[in-house]
Amino acid sequence: MKRLILIALALFLAKSPASASVDWESKGMQIAGEIIANPAGFFYDFQQDLEATTPLPPGKRFGFQMGLFPTLIPVTYTNFSGKYRLHGEGRIAPGVPQLDLVGGYWDMLAAKMATRDSETIDSAKFGGYYLGAIMSTSVSPRVRTFWGYKRSKLGAKLKFKPGEEPELLGATVSSFDTGFKDDFFIAGIETPRSVGKLWSIQLNYGLKTQTFSSKVSWYGKYFELGLNIYPEGVLVVHPVWNFHLNF
Amino acid sequence: MKKIFLSALIAAGLAGRLCAASAEDSRIFTPFFDMTLSEAAFLPSEGNIFSGGNMNTQVGLLAKATRKDHLFGLYNFNYSGQGFTPQDSKQFTDRSMSHGFNIEYRRVLTDRIRIRPGLSLNREYRRTGANEVWKNGLYNMNSFGGQLAADYTFNEEKNGYVTVQYLFRNVKFPNYTDLLREFQNAGNTAETSGGLQDQAMGQISLRPSWNRFFAGLTYTVQNYKNQRVVANTGVYGDDKQRDSDTALDFGFHHSLWIFELSPMVSYTMHSSNQNFMLYKFLGDTSPQFGEKYYDFKELALSVPLDLNITGKWAVGGALGLQRRAYDKRSARDTDNNFTSAKQVNTMTTLTASIRKRINEVAMVRLFGSFIVADSNNKFEKYLPYNYTGKSFGIAYQLSY
Repeated sequence: MKRLILIALALFLAKSPASASVDWESKGMQIAGEIIANPAGFFYDFQQDLEATTPLPPGKRFGFQMGLFPTLIPVTYTNFSGKYRLHGEGRIAPGVPQLDLVGGYWDMLAAKMATRDSETIDSAKFGGYYLGAIMSTSVSPRVRTFWGYKRSKLGAKLKFKPGEEPELLGATVSSFDTGFKDDFFIAGIETPRSVGKLWSIQLNYGLKTQTFSSKVSWYGKYFELGLNIYPEGVLVVHPVWNFHLNF
Repeated sequence: MKKIFLSALIAAGLAGRLCAASAEDSRIFTPFFDMTLSEAAFLPSEGNIFSGGNMNTQVGLLAKATRKDHLFGLYNFNYSGQGFTPQDSKQFTDRSMSHGFNIEYRRVLTDRIRIRPGLSLNREYRRTGANEVWKNGLYNMNSFGGQLAADYTFNEEKNGYVTVQYLFRNVKFPNYTDLLREFQNAGNTAETSGGLQDQAMGQISLRPSWNRFFAGLTYTVQNYKNQRVVANTGVYGDDKQRDSDTALDFGFHHSLWIFELSPMVSYTMHSSNQNFMLYKFLGDTSPQFGEKYYDFKELALSVPLDLNITGKWAVGGALGLQRRAYDKRSARDTDNNFTSAKQVNTMTTLTASIRKRINEVAMVRLFGSFIVADSNNKFEKYLPYNYTGKSFGIAYQLSY
């Protein structure tokens, strides 16, 4: 039945009479222009993919996370994130929320390789970190809401060798040295999908830059699947795959 | 004008959400959380593919001080992204983002009557396809105001009640300036054209609800503080601009067997004393005059239908129709000349969707839409009036 429904929807979309067509070349130029206009914003969206901003499961004291896709593969962000529970829900007094510290670091492997091996790139350094705290509270046996703060920082430097500068959209790009830093407000809700599997949706909002995103995640014991949406980003939808362990 | 009317609707919508949240008897604090998210790709018949989405997050807390005294605080984040829009509203590429803070005190007077005074602070950012910094948007808007609402319950069993509400807002557009006037007064360095959109808005509404049927009668007035009415000489007169809207709406949400239907219809009468001068080019010495240019009647109809084929899965469809007929505005031909016909815009949307309930508080929906925008206004240099388009995307909702 599900397959039938999907086929019907696909036919509806494909056969409807709107005479629309896609100019992929023009779209590619637009995307390239947006990346050049704000490279830090483009790379920061990938940082958000690896940031562990959901609370630890009840009963767990600490956890580790590594972003696999699209962070480690294909954009070569070697990364590591950690969570530590400062206070379990209701431990000090009934109703006092759980409080977790979260943080992580990443470094772009491709930038290091390019610096060493490339004939056109003189130097490249891409990296970043984040630190924050997540407060979570159960509002029913099946629902937890969480609130948090994080500080995120990213640095992106790239310099081409003299005479090897590329041309993009008619402009010669010799180097860029840019960064991103902001304090974020986080609000989300978590609910079970099945036994041992959770589903969450959260908002991340940057107070200074007005950068915002929505993260929809499904996670179990080892892996997290997500669909991160950056409505104002260059690549609006990021499918996400992360590995995590909680103890 | 449209932006303010939208704000009024948002304010009214928020009031509805505030009213909907209720305290659990056993708890002093009851949280409220609602997040909806949609992201879609749009293929217009003219122009290239683009993506856009909408995001709405409401987080709140209801505190029960005593059995009769409640306090409800709500933060609302709303983002409205690129997308197909009704004619005469905005460009496809325009986006807006707003932060709203509301606090409401609820006092139960009798078993049937409750009053709800409240305060509201809202900050809205707007940006165009030029991707200007959010803080620099020409139509950025700040508003502050209050409300007084009273609910009368006439049927507890069927959740029947009537709400009467008055709300007011002091609205400011800190970045707005009239570019034409600044151009015409290039030698003048003083700020002469700011504050033209600033206004005081008042709204009174009556909303009955019973057994999942609802209706409303809303009257909104916008009094501009500085904007004056342009005369047929092309000179601004002494009268200040004043707009009003009278809106009626009706709808319900009911299920019958596997069918889940939630239609809604609304009819709006907009009136403004503002006129319009049509300059076809800079320096046009014989501009055309459009009297009462902004008055219109608008009908909006939405008929969403879901067929619950299993407990989790539903297939659905929706028909949307919006028709705006201007009272006195003449349509224009392709050369930007007024014709003898009054302008009429119609936008029709047909949507197919698949919905999956993840659990009792969350659901996800895949959808595809086909849209037809039609108008007898053929001058489309700045805004599209006649086009078709397709969109397909995904939407999430999580509500507690």
